[in-house]
Amino acid sequence: MIVSGSVVALRQENLDTDQMYPGKYLSLITRKDLGRLLFEAFPKGRELFESHRDASIFVTGENVGCGSSREHAVWALNDWGIRAVIAPSFARIFHENCYSNGVVPVVVTDKAALDECFSAKTLEIDVDNEVVRKDGREIARFTLDPLRKDFILHGGFLEYMATKVDQVRAWREKAPVA
Amino acid sequence: MGRTLFDKVWDAHVVEALPGDNALLAIDRIIAIEITTPQPAAEIAERFGDRLFDTSSIVALIDHISPAKDTETAIQGQALRKWAKAHDVVFYDIGNNGICHVVIPERGWVEPGMTLICGDSHTCTHGAFGAFALGIGSSVQCGAMLAGSIIQKRQKVIRINVEGTMHPSATAKDLALTVIATLGFQGGTGAVIEYHGSTIRALSMEERMTLCNMAIEAGATTGMIEPDETTIEYLRGREAQPKGEAFEKKAAYWRTLRSDPDATYERTIDIDGSKIRTVVSWGTNPGESVSIDAVVPNGDASSLEYMDLKPGTPMRGIAIDQAFIGSCTNARISDLRAAAEIFKGRKVAVPTIVTPGSQAVKRQAEHEGLHDIFQDAGALWTHSSCGPCLGMSMGVVAPGMRIISSTNRNFRNRMGTGGRVHLATPVVVAASAILGRIATPDELPAEVHA
Repeated sequence: MIVSGSVVALRQENLDTDQMYPGKYLSLITRKDLGRLLFEAFPKGRELFESHRDASIFVTGENVGCGSSREHAVWALNDWGIRAVIAPSFARIFHENCYSNGVVPVVVTDKAALDECFSAKTLEIDVDNEVVRKDGREIARFTLDPLRKDFILHGGFLEYMATKVDQVRAWREKAPVA
Repeated sequence: MGRTLFDKVWDAHVVEALPGDNALLAIDRIIAIEITTPQPAAEIAERFGDRLFDTSSIVALIDHISPAKDTETAIQGQALRKWAKAHDVVFYDIGNNGICHVVIPERGWVEPGMTLICGDSHTCTHGAFGAFALGIGSSVQCGAMLAGSIIQKRQKVIRINVEGTMHPSATAKDLALTVIATLGFQGGTGAVIEYHGSTIRALSMEERMTLCNMAIEAGATTGMIEPDETTIEYLRGREAQPKGEAFEKKAAYWRTLRSDPDATYERTIDIDGSKIRTVVSWGTNPGESVSIDAVVPNGDASSLEYMDLKPGTPMRGIAIDQAFIGSCTNARISDLRAAAEIFKGRKVAVPTIVTPGSQAVKRQAEHEGLHDIFQDAGALWTHSSCGPCLGMSMGVVAPGMRIISSTNRNFRNRMGTGGRVHLATPVVVAASAILGRIATPDELPAEVHA
């Protein structure tokens, strides 16, 4: 699986999910069409995304997605067309939420490689081989969690969980602790 | 080899080892709130025949927005209400509810050794009971509702030892902010924080909850504290707990949930509890906090710009436009009592809102007459809600307004687009509300009794 396309880059550390998706819209129970609310309270982010309407790869700074667990942030990014996020580090819940929605979380810690990502107009992310390429040239390698990578490549996180129901039930019956 | 408290809870819940150091981890309790539950509920209804793994493991409640404030939140609340009823899930509706991280403990739905999830990042609060409690997204919640389990990587464990007697002016919130400043805003990512030491053992359950509540603000998966007699006595007699012999049997198990003396940690950090003093935030994440006696540091330029602060400005004396006491961090009865002590016989100088953490806390506060103290001081006394903490309702600030708040996040735009947030303890919020500037209680003139 290859994720390739144009890049939107925001040099900012600790980009929290309140910036990506404001709390006041947590009242919506839909997971669709949330891109219109992306960065709604954060003009710098909104203007940047508005000027990169066709972006599919989001490059940003350390600790991306910190703060609130709201999956709405990833739903909004996904609705915008973002298929991968590149950052030197991810906050835990946002990281998992990316996986849950098939948005490839790409950790690039090497500063030179990250700079190349920030300055790129387009990038190519080879998910199978865990490689980032720029103009056909490899600029970074990354590691995906093997299990969650499989969910990205073949889908079916919930289908996978559904296969575990009987096993968890059997375990429950024998569990030492109530 | 010795095991940590976390190891013991983790090991007791592993159903299956999975690739990549992952485990299929059994989940004992799911807190289902109106913000993050309708989506997974709909998904299971549409794709999996509306079958839930175990409805008795779920507790649902109207949490963030109570009561509905508009059509969207009414739809959201009604979705949860109908779903809970259809599945015979325990449900706390408006009037009998509150913030989930206040209600769940006070009803006794969390207990030591448990695994607990909720679609809210401050679920780490429940680690105060020696549970492994973590915030997750709606998709993971969906998986847990479907299969009673989550996929989770085994966590690193950071031990934080806090020894000594805390100064009378220092609170659990000050300790929490000190821990975040020590670890860094993302210093706990991928790890569980275990809090140990004499200072921690001396904390009440409410104080432990305040401390663990902010573990996520250091990036940690959760915070955990060994259960002890304080924990057991807190839970005794609570609604969801059994009585008599059945409770004692559980308590006997809880007493075994201690970190072994030879347990190993990813790292250990020692904090002198006697040196904790009043802390207040200056920037746009909770790690950007300093002693209230300090000046605004020469910190991140964009944070300073957003907060409209210049390095070198004393924290004490920064003028504020609004004050808020509330949230899952600091709206339990002990917080309200402490704030009431400060408000008593005094008047607020800026708009001030006091929002109890649950309806039970509200009733207790009114039983003690605290609501009169707040209202005599000129503060707005409300029912329970998350309120303005996350910019959703009941006191959101306007662009440029500066608010001092007993909440947990000072992110940009958090409490209202363009709003500036200073995090502080309830007593500092109260003193600041009275003086109209960031202040501590010792700056206040003597009480004026009418």
